[in-house]
Amino acid sequence: MAEIEIRNIGKFFGPVEVLKDVSMTIADGEFVVMLGESGCGKTTTLRSIAGLESVTSGQILIDGAEVQDKKASDRDIAFVFQSFSLYPHMSVYENIAFPLRAVRMNTSDREAAVKEVADILQIGPLLNRKPSALSGGDMQRVAIGRALVRRPKALLMDEPIGALDAKLREQMRAEIKRLHISRGSTSVYVTHDQIEAMSLADRIVIMNDGILQQIGAPEEVYLRPANLFVAQFVGSPVMNVTDVALSGDARVVIGGNEQGFQFPGQVVSHLNGAPLSLGIRPEAVLLSHDAAHGAIEVETTNVEPLGSHDIVDVRVGDTVLRSRTEAGFIKSEGQKVWVGLDPLQAHFFDRDSGQALRGTN
Amino acid sequence: MTHSEPRAGHSAARGLSDKSIRNLFIFPTIAFLIIFNIFPLLFSLYTSFTDFRASTNAPANWVGLENYSYLLTNEFIWRNFTITAKYVLISVSGQVIVGFGLALLLNRYMPFKGLITTLLLLPMMLSMAVVGLFWKLLYDPNFGIINHSLGLGKFEWLANPDMALWAVAITDIWMWSPFVMLLSLAGLSAVPKHLYEAAEIDRAGTFYTFFRITLPLVAPILMIAIIFRTMEAFKTFDLAYILSSQPTTELIAIRLYKMAFLEWQTGLSSAFAYIVLVMVVGITMIYVKYLNKVKER
Repeated sequence: MAEIEIRNIGKFFGPVEVLKDVSMTIADGEFVVMLGESGCGKTTTLRSIAGLESVTSGQILIDGAEVQDKKASDRDIAFVFQSFSLYPHMSVYENIAFPLRAVRMNTSDREAAVKEVADILQIGPLLNRKPSALSGGDMQRVAIGRALVRRPKALLMDEPIGALDAKLREQMRAEIKRLHISRGSTSVYVTHDQIEAMSLADRIVIMNDGILQQIGAPEEVYLRPANLFVAQFVGSPVMNVTDVALSGDARVVIGGNEQGFQFPGQVVSHLNGAPLSLGIRPEAVLLSHDAAHGAIEVETTNVEPLGSHDIVDVRVGDTVLRSRTEAGFIKSEGQKVWVGLDPLQAHFFDRDSGQALRGTN
Repeated sequence: MTHSEPRAGHSAARGLSDKSIRNLFIFPTIAFLIIFNIFPLLFSLYTSFTDFRASTNAPANWVGLENYSYLLTNEFIWRNFTITAKYVLISVSGQVIVGFGLALLLNRYMPFKGLITTLLLLPMMLSMAVVGLFWKLLYDPNFGIINHSLGLGKFEWLANPDMALWAVAITDIWMWSPFVMLLSLAGLSAVPKHLYEAAEIDRAGTFYTFFRITLPLVAPILMIAIIFRTMEAFKTFDLAYILSSQPTTELIAIRLYKMAFLEWQTGLSSAFAYIVLVMVVGITMIYVKYLNKVKER
């Protein structure tokens, strides 16, 4: 088990800068998920930690020792590939035993280690099969088994379940979490799936364009996004973001609707008059059938029934806000409703820099 | 084919029907095959059971299995087989080692890789006779560049009964290693890069990775190269014939040629050719069986 520290790493592929001054510390036994769109640099960061990619600048430390110039084989880190990367000509047993044979572990220890991992992952009956005879889920179990069998300092996973179908993904997600809890190994996991990230992570690292955007616990990233990118990347459906103006009496006015939403003074007191964007999640856009205090009368433009809840679009001025309501609350589009915003769940961002503007509370 | 039938009537007005064009293309090939392949094959099978001599007008007498039993019990013939086996072994293993080695060197980033690969393929594109004549000069004890550059003085290569077969094999290795290299290169580039990354993560060293990952995955295509080269080496004639006239380089193809066209023992040489054919088919079948086993892995 190990602590991993990344200090100001940068990476160029030819003229393209793919990592820009990325720094983070991953504590011993922590499960960190790196989340971002494809091409954001998350996989490159992971591969740099593993030693499969060299960094152009900066340091990588494992347990306090600099490793950025060491070969992957000298870093004692396991890696689970998205493509599984099982050795096609070897049986499941030989695949899992490969890292042990490579360092000449004796046969009896090796057999015991493989058996233990096979039991944990419930792949005992598959040991004599070839990878080509396995299902996707089993292939990934074998790949994880091969990574775990030598008790590495850290376990790195690059979209390990991205190639599986939705149901199996859910099942494997739970399995990976259970495995992490039982083995407690330091884990870094890359995904573009925010549900995977939210459900697995102790902390989430959100990246965009080679720049680290925010590190935090899942609820922190969700409730207190550091900037507009994080705000809109995390959460489904996407957070409503619209340009707003703040009037002197603490009303938040959306373009095209003069009435605006009355906010408590202390919620907006820290905003200093810079151009503002308002971010508000669909569950904080409150609809009611009756005129409520401070609510604006609007018309629904679209209703998406999703079973457990509905997503209802309403037009406020020039903007469409999406609201999450209980199932069947709004029957159809074109219906008159009153919309209000929950001031405590409102996020204000500097329109130019995209940075979140927060009060001291 | 079938869709051309309805149009045949229309095109007849314009000239040849599709069917006649088809036949026009196919019949010459079939005639050629029958005259030059199938007839000689059957005729030589017949003559192998006779005492026929193509140089005389005497009618062929049926001798049954006499030619075969004579050949299979003749120790001179077995000497030719032994020489050929030795030649095949030296030449093919040399080609595999040199060719695969070159492929390993080329299977990485290097400047001018395409040009280097093309240049390395040149020997393979030359005519056997030309290569034979070139190397005869290269091996020359008085002015040959091989002795000169190796500092061997007046060392005899081709006139030395012990060295002549090696000299022929070395020439063959020079000529055909590029073929093994080409196939190996295709095999090596088909090994997914991520397997090497996985092996590196698994802390496998260079040799371990080579023997446990590279070699098993390239084996099927390397096997195909070996099959081709073995069959070719087995029936080598021109290179050995041009380079050396030593009895120690008398491969079966040369013996067969002498028997058929210098000694005019047509019936006997036909039987000999059939024995060689059966052996080549037998060896190939062993290889193909092994190839399938390798492919299953």
